[in-house]
Amino acid sequence: MSNRLPTQPGEVIDRSESLSFTWNGKQMAGFKGDTIASAVAANGVDVFGRSMKYHRKRGIMTADHWDPNLFVQVGDEPNVRAGSRKLQAGMEVSTQNVWPSLNFDLAAANQFMGRFLSSGFYYKTFMRPQFLWPLYQKVLRKFAPGGQIHWKTSIHGAYDKRYVHPDVLVAGGGPAGMGAALAAADAGASVLLVEHYTELGGHLRWGDEGQRAMSAALVAACEAHTNIEVLVDSTVTGRYDHNWIAVNQRSHEIAPERLIKARAGVMVVAAGLIERPYVFAGNDTPGVLLAGGARRLINLFGVKPGKKAVVLTANEEGDAAVADLERAGVEIVAVLDARKGESIVAVEGKGRVSKVRMSDGRTVSADTVVTATGWTAPTSLLNMAGDRPVYDASAARYFSSGELPSNILVTGGLAGDGSTAELEAHGRATGELAANRSLRRRHDRVRQTARAGAPTWSKPAEIEDRRTPLARKPHPECYRSTTHGMVDFSEDVSSKDLVQASKEGFDSIELMKRYTTVTMGPAQGKLETVNAAAVLAEANGVAMADIGTTVWRPPYSPISLGALAGRILEPVRRSALQDWHEAHGASPLLAGQWVRPDHYGDAIAEATNVRTNVGLIDVTPLGKLDLRGTDVPKLLELVYVNKWQKLEIGRVRYGAMVAEDGVVSDDGVTGRLSESRWLMTTTSSGAGAVWEMLEDWLQTYRPEWDVHVTAVTGGLTSINVAGPNSRTLLERLAQGVDLSSDSFPYFSVRQGTVADVPDCIIWRIGFTGELSYEVHVPSGHALHVWESLLETGADLGCAPFGVEAQRILRLEKGHYIVGQDTDGLSKAPTAGLGGLVKLDKSDTLGLPELKHAYERADLPVLVGIQTVDGSIVPEEAAQIVEGDSNTILGRITSSRMSPTLGRSICLGQVDPSLSAAGSDITVLLADGRRIKAVVQEHHAHVDHEGARQRV
Amino acid sequence: MSETTMQSPVGVGPLASPDGGVVLADAYTTTKVQVRAGASTAAAAFLGGSYGSSIRNADGDLVCGTRPDEWTIYGAPGRAEAIAASVPTEGFVTVIDISHGRAMLRIGGVNATAALSKICNLDLSDELTPNGAVFSGSLGAVGCDWVRDDQDGQTSFLISCERSFGKFLFIAVADACTEFGISVPHGWELHGH
Repeated sequence: MSNRLPTQPGEVIDRSESLSFTWNGKQMAGFKGDTIASAVAANGVDVFGRSMKYHRKRGIMTADHWDPNLFVQVGDEPNVRAGSRKLQAGMEVSTQNVWPSLNFDLAAANQFMGRFLSSGFYYKTFMRPQFLWPLYQKVLRKFAPGGQIHWKTSIHGAYDKRYVHPDVLVAGGGPAGMGAALAAADAGASVLLVEHYTELGGHLRWGDEGQRAMSAALVAACEAHTNIEVLVDSTVTGRYDHNWIAVNQRSHEIAPERLIKARAGVMVVAAGLIERPYVFAGNDTPGVLLAGGARRLINLFGVKPGKKAVVLTANEEGDAAVADLERAGVEIVAVLDARKGESIVAVEGKGRVSKVRMSDGRTVSADTVVTATGWTAPTSLLNMAGDRPVYDASAARYFSSGELPSNILVTGGLAGDGSTAELEAHGRATGELAANRSLRRRHDRVRQTARAGAPTWSKPAEIEDRRTPLARKPHPECYRSTTHGMVDFSEDVSSKDLVQASKEGFDSIELMKRYTTVTMGPAQGKLETVNAAAVLAEANGVAMADIGTTVWRPPYSPISLGALAGRILEPVRRSALQDWHEAHGASPLLAGQWVRPDHYGDAIAEATNVRTNVGLIDVTPLGKLDLRGTDVPKLLELVYVNKWQKLEIGRVRYGAMVAEDGVVSDDGVTGRLSESRWLMTTTSSGAGAVWEMLEDWLQTYRPEWDVHVTAVTGGLTSINVAGPNSRTLLERLAQGVDLSSDSFPYFSVRQGTVADVPDCIIWRIGFTGELSYEVHVPSGHALHVWESLLETGADLGCAPFGVEAQRILRLEKGHYIVGQDTDGLSKAPTAGLGGLVKLDKSDTLGLPELKHAYERADLPVLVGIQTVDGSIVPEEAAQIVEGDSNTILGRITSSRMSPTLGRSICLGQVDPSLSAAGSDITVLLADGRRIKAVVQEHHAHVDHEGARQRV
Repeated sequence: MSETTMQSPVGVGPLASPDGGVVLADAYTTTKVQVRAGASTAAAAFLGGSYGSSIRNADGDLVCGTRPDEWTIYGAPGRAEAIAASVPTEGFVTVIDISHGRAMLRIGGVNATAALSKICNLDLSDELTPNGAVFSGSLGAVGCDWVRDDQDGQTSFLISCERSFGKFLFIAVADACTEFGISVPHGWELHGH
C-alpha cells in the first residue's frame, strides 16, 4: 500500500480488518471502511479509467459519489461508483470502457480526431448516406461507454420497496440537516433523515477536530432520538406533487437497492454544496483533484494523494487542503490564491500531472494539482418543487428564488454560509418550522381520516418563518482560466465545444445542453452546470445571471431500473379448483388476471367427450353479481337492451349490454332466485367494469332505487356440467332439485344441495350447445363437489375439459364472445341482437344510439363462415377481402377445426353486402394465400335448432 | 358440509419469525357476513359503530363499518347463520354470508406494520390507523378490506380480499415478511409461484 498514510485522526477505515480484492486482475488489499477508490488509490494506482469519447486517462478527482472518473465494473455489476461504494472482501473490480487494456486502449486514437468529434458530430456525421445508418449503429455501439451486464447470470437479488409517512423528511445529514432533524423531532414530529453517504456529518467528517467532535455529538443525538429514523447511503432522488418523495436506499441487507416512497408533511432540503472543478487545459489529467477530494482521501481514508502539489485556492476549503496536504507529507510546490487573481493556466502530463503552468508565467514540476474554486448548489429538489434558482455573482453560486411551496424548506449551504454552529442553528430553526407545519398538517389528516378517529391533541398554532438568514460569503467567480479545458468530465465536453455550440446558434443554455450533452452524464450537472453556464455566458457576452439555468429533474442521482421496479407484484387470480387442475396436468392459460386450465393434454378429445358423454369445466372467472331489492328489474331494464320486468322466479334470461354509444359492452345470463333476489353473470373480463357501472348508477343517478349489488365471483365456484349424460350425473348428486326437463326446463335456475353441499345454485343453460347445467358452489366446498362429480360420473365418461375445448364447442354452436367476435366499434346490430333489443323501452343505456344503429344498413354483420376447403383454418383476424384486391370487407373473428364436423368453422364480421347466406367471400391468410369461403345461414355450425340442449 | 371444513385458498402456515416479531396466519374460515342497510334502519342501530371503525359485540363478533351504510361482521367459523339471524331486517336490508368469497389473513407482531408498509402505501401508524380502524386499501396490488384488531395488546391486522386473489396475497405478504425473519415454504416464494 504505497500511498497509505499513518493513522489519521478522523479516518473511517478500520486498519484491523484487511479486505482482499482484485483490480484488473491484480490482487490488492484495503481496509474495512475504504471505498473502492480509496483502496485502489492506496495501492498506488493513478489511472482509474478512460473518458467516454476521447478515452483520455482519468484519475481520482472528487473521491466521492460524484466523481466522474470512478465508474468501475464490480463482478457482474457495471457502472459502480468507486468513490462512494464501500470495499468488500473478494470484490473483483475492473476498469470499464477500455479495450484491450487500461494502459493501452485503442480507442484513445479518438484524441487525435478530436477536431472531428466536436459537439453534434453525431448529427453532422451520421446523417448521410441514410442506408449506412445500421452500420453506423453497430460501430457506435462499440464505443458506447459503461460496463457489461451479464443479465443471464446476474446474482443480484430482488430489489425492494417501502412506503413511509414521516412528518418531516430531511434531505442531507450535515450539520444543518442534523440540526433540523433534531429540532423537528424534539417538537414531536416523526423525522426521516436521509444522508447520501454512508455516514452522517456532511463536510464535518473530513474537517478539523472541533468539527468532527461537533459532528459526533449531532450524530449520536440523531441516532438516539426515537422520533428520528436515519437512512445513510440513501439519496432523495425526486420530489413530486404533494411531497411525494422518492428515496433510493442502497446497500440494504435484504436488497441491493430499495426505493422508499415517502409522503412527507414537510421536506427540509439540506443537501449542502458540491465542489466544482476549474476549467483549464489539462484539467482532466490524473493528479488534478478538487480540494474536497484531496481532503477526503487524506482525512477519511489515510491516502496520500500525491507527492508534489500545486494548490489553487479561492476559499477556506482550499486553505484547509493546503494544511492537510502538508500534514500528509505532500510537498507544496505553490499555492495560488484566486482571491488575489492568481490562477493555473495548464497542466501537462500523460499518465499523471508532471508540470503546471501558472498565471504568473512560471512552470513548475508537480504530480498533483488541487483546486478549490467554488461550489455548485445542488438545488435539484428545489427545482422539482417549482423553484428557479437565481445566480448571485457576489457569492459565485446559485440560491433559491424563495418561490417554494410551504411544505419545502431550505437550510445549510443551499441557504447561505456560516460557521458550523451557525449552520446547525439555522437547521434547528428550520426544523422547528418544519415540525410546526407538518404537525398542523397531521392534525388535519387525522381529523379528516375516517378510520383515525378524532385527534387527541390540539392543533399547534401556526408560527411564522422568523429564521435569521444565513449570510452569503463573498467568493470570486472562478470558472475558466485563459485556456480551454474539460467542463463535463462524464460526457467529454470541453469549454471549446460549448463556445463552438454557441457560435452555431445553440446559445440558449437548454439548447446547448441538448446539443452538446453537457450536464447529461452520470454526474447530472453536479460538477458541470455552473461552469457550463459561465462558459456560455462568456461566449454570449452576457452576465451569468442572465444566462439562466437548466432544469434539474428527477432523479437527483441516477437510479437503477431494478430499484424502480422493486418486487414484481402482479396479482394472479385462482379458482378454488386451480390447484386440482395443475395437479392433473392442466396447461395454464392466463386470461386477464385469471389463470385457467387451457386443456389437459388433448383439447379435441375433451370436446368430443362433451359431445358424447359428459364433461366438467371450471368457469369460475365468469362474473357473478348478487342483486337484491325490489328495484332490481328497473336496474336490469336500464343496463340490458332487453326487458326484465316479467321474468318469473326460477327463470333465466340472456341479456346484452351496450355502452352509451351503442357498442356491445358485455353480456351474460341473469336468473331470478326469489322475489327480490337475482344473480347476474357477466363476461369474465367485464365483471369488474359491470359491477362498477351498476354501483355508479345506483349511487349517483338512481340513489332512490332499492338495490344492493354484491360481487360474488370468487365466492361461488362455477362448474359447468355439459354433455348428454350431464343430467344423469347431476341427478346422482343433487338433492332437493328435480332435474327433469319438465320441472327444470332450459333457461331455468334452481337452488339446492349438490354432493351434500347446501346453497348451491344450479342453472340450466348451455354455452357448449349440449344439455348442460352450471353449478355454482360455495367456494370453500368446490373441490369436494368437483371431485364428487368426477368420481360419481366415471361410468358416464365424465372428464374435465379446458378452455380450448370450450372455445371449440361454443364456436360449433355459434355463440359469440364479446370482445372476441365484437370489438370497440361493434354495435348491437352487428352482433345479431336484432330480436333481443327492445327499442320501445322507455329508457336503457345507449337507447338513442341503438335506435340510430338499427336505422343504418351499413354496419358489419357477424355471420357463420365455412371455408370451401374444410382443411384450412383461417387465422383469427384474417382479413376478408374483395376478390384479388386488398379492399377489406371484413375479418374472421373466431376459427377452429371442428371435431364434430371434421372441418374448419368460423365466425366473422362482414360487410352487409356479403351477409346473406351463401355469399362467397375471399379470406386473405397471413401467408398471402387467398381462399374461398361461404357465409352460412346461421351462426351455429352444429345443431342450430338447439335440439341437443333442450332435451 | 360444515363451514369449519371450508377449503382455504391458502393452505399453508401459520408462518412466524423466530423472534415472534411477525406472525402471518390464514384466517379463511372466519365467518364473514356483510350487511347493507341505510342509516335509519333498525339494522344500523343494532350494529352500531360507524364507517371506519369496529366494535366487538356481546357475542364476540367483530362488527366493522366497512363502507358508508355497509358493515362486515367477523365471527368464529360456522357462525354465519347465527349472525345473519341476529340482524334486524326491517326496511331495505341485505345480509349476505360472504365467508366463502373472501380470503382472509391475520398478521401481527411488533414488525407487522413495517412488513405491510413494504407493499401498502397507506399510513398504518398508530395515530392514523389505531386499534379498531376499518378501511379499504391496496396491499400487494390487491384490493383489500382491513381491520386493525390488536391481540393481547400487540398490533394485529385482519385483512381480507376476493377469494381468488387469496393465494397471491398471502405470498406477497409472506415475501414482505422475510425481511423480518419469516421463512417462506418452498413453492410459496413471490417469484416462484
